[in-house]
Amino acid sequence: MKKVVVAAVLAAALAVLATAAWGSTKGSSRVASPANAGSALVKCGKTRSIGLLAPITGPAASLGQPQVHWAKFFVSNYNKTHKKKVKLVPEDTMLGSANGTAEAVKGAQALGSTANVLGVVGPAGSNEVKATTGALKGAGLGWVSGSATNTQITLDGTRTGYFFRTVPPDSSQSKSVTAYITGTLKLKRVYIIDDQEAYSTGLADEVQAQLTAKGVTVGRDGVSQQQSDFTSLINKIPRNTQLVYLPWQLPPKGKAFGQQMKSLGRAGTKLMGSDGLFDPLFSSLGNNVYDSFFPLNPADKRVAAFKAIHHATELFGAPSYVATQVVAGAIDRACANGTASRAEVRAQIKKTNITAATSLLGLQVKFDKHGDMVKKPFGIYHSVKGVFIRVA
Amino acid sequence: MNWSLFFGELVSGLTLGSIYALIALGYTMVYGILKLLNFAHGDVYMVGAFIGFFVLQWLGGPLKPVVTGWLAVAIMFAVAMIGCGALGVGIERFAYRPLRNAPRIAPLISALGVSIFLQNSALLLWGPQFRDYDTFDLVGVKSYHIGQNFFISNVQILTISVSIGLTIALTLVVSRTRTGKAMRATSFDRDAAEMMGISIDRVISFTFFLGSALAAAGGIMFGLVFGQIFSLMGFTAGLKGFTAAVVGGIGSIPGAVLGGFLIGLTEAFATGYLPGGSVYANLYVFALLIAMFLIRPSGLLGSPVIQKV
Repeated sequence: MKKVVVAAVLAAALAVLATAAWGSTKGSSRVASPANAGSALVKCGKTRSIGLLAPITGPAASLGQPQVHWAKFFVSNYNKTHKKKVKLVPEDTMLGSANGTAEAVKGAQALGSTANVLGVVGPAGSNEVKATTGALKGAGLGWVSGSATNTQITLDGTRTGYFFRTVPPDSSQSKSVTAYITGTLKLKRVYIIDDQEAYSTGLADEVQAQLTAKGVTVGRDGVSQQQSDFTSLINKIPRNTQLVYLPWQLPPKGKAFGQQMKSLGRAGTKLMGSDGLFDPLFSSLGNNVYDSFFPLNPADKRVAAFKAIHHATELFGAPSYVATQVVAGAIDRACANGTASRAEVRAQIKKTNITAATSLLGLQVKFDKHGDMVKKPFGIYHSVKGVFIRVA
Repeated sequence: MNWSLFFGELVSGLTLGSIYALIALGYTMVYGILKLLNFAHGDVYMVGAFIGFFVLQWLGGPLKPVVTGWLAVAIMFAVAMIGCGALGVGIERFAYRPLRNAPRIAPLISALGVSIFLQNSALLLWGPQFRDYDTFDLVGVKSYHIGQNFFISNVQILTISVSIGLTIALTLVVSRTRTGKAMRATSFDRDAAEMMGISIDRVISFTFFLGSALAAAGGIMFGLVFGQIFSLMGFTAGLKGFTAAVVGGIGSIPGAVLGGFLIGLTEAFATGYLPGGSVYANLYVFALLIAMFLIRPSGLLGSPVIQKV
């Protein structure tokens, strides 16, 4: 027995030594401490690395995959026309799955500790932006999201100078939604269901306040993102409700909700989603479905080129193309003298100015002091034969 | 009184309760025979839902099945129930049988291990994304209404009827067949049953087969009614099924069914009537479990265990 214990202790000691040795050999490509990470200079070299935080798998993969495709599409376009190349370092955030937030933080930490990553694109969700702030800011990284729209994440000052986004905030989305519901659809009874996440509750609060101010009768409820049975909640929605507003992030959940509405004889009630539900899964529910979505120039040649490659209209990821463009441009400028620090890249992101003519969004991409775009309109879409068509 | 809401929640609760009842039956049968809490049971339910999904894909998918929609559903039930029955037998053979004479904590830990193993295997094999049953395309969901207030869909009717049908079939198996008699004898006194020539291993394997097959049926019903399945769906459902078995009186077949319906109805009515119910329905469900333990520790239909000293 004594021999077994001694052998076990020796084996454990060897394992610890081996791990330590492995760590020291890998250490050359890792940042020593997060505190000085922002100002540490790295050689830019021929290939520059951009971190990419996206829900590559998980319940929100149908949103994350287009973001990855669009970011890669930018990289492929960029690398064709530039001597210095760009590469993406992807990390999966698994948004919406049970351990989603932890995965996002893990991904952010991995990017933070990889010295040659100078800037980050993503993450997708506002809650993820909040969760990854410590890891990304601690590592001195600037990050640009192509889909996180919660109004407060730029205004609360927690990540000013570090976080930027190429989508308008919910304050803009809520105005467009309210105007369409009251002005165009002329509805008087609306029910709002949030999914208890920061993005969803923030947007729901704003739309509720604005609708109420315009004299609309608004009911309000919430569901968990893990929930699949909506029938009990649907029973609760008054039968004379004209529209149910779902500011959710997971299109499969939006589809399940719509199907359960139909199965309970509520097919006549209109459904309206937010940018998180701008997906064929949601539009496939039928002609009673509406959605709000980011600005985009559909006539841009790059949209057609992307569709030709991917044979799909994955427009949700288009702002991630612009986010990658912003970070790549900032790294380019910071690397003018051959070296760059993360702090220099952040400063250059702040100075971004992509003209309307060259922007995929069809508007100028320039950031205000909070990290929001200076111009920020939102579009409204209607599902016609299963496809979203812009109506406002 | 808002009767539309009342009847709506009643139907929702019975539908959900039907699924919990099928899961609870597996818990209660295994406990009745082995005095083991098979925590992997919820994950067997998840595997059943996935087998049903893949059978549907194999049959051409919900949009263009090579057979009629309802026949496809019947095939999904048959394959998933046999598949999960076999999985249950395998779990018992390799994870529980070697520990049958070990202290009672050992098989309990083994059950938790099997649960995590199945969950993570599902994540690895099938990913964390939602899989869509597309019931609308498959069978064409129809809603029926009686008067202005009572609405029920054909899939809800199917779920409630299949659950009641399977429970009746199980009751007949247990009460009217030789194997059922052997199950009851084993549950009553395992050693005495063995001395009377009953093959305990076969009885236990059969119990696992039945329980797992019922869980698979529950998994498919979940996919049909709520439209989607995912690899972590077994955890909460398993917990609710276990709660249902305890509330009804663990070891009692009618108790498991009663507990399942009670949990389903509590969840539905909590969502409909209680503050924050749609978000915190589980709070009310587990509060019921605690209350039940305090008032009647042996459950609604369970009999108190008398120990001779």
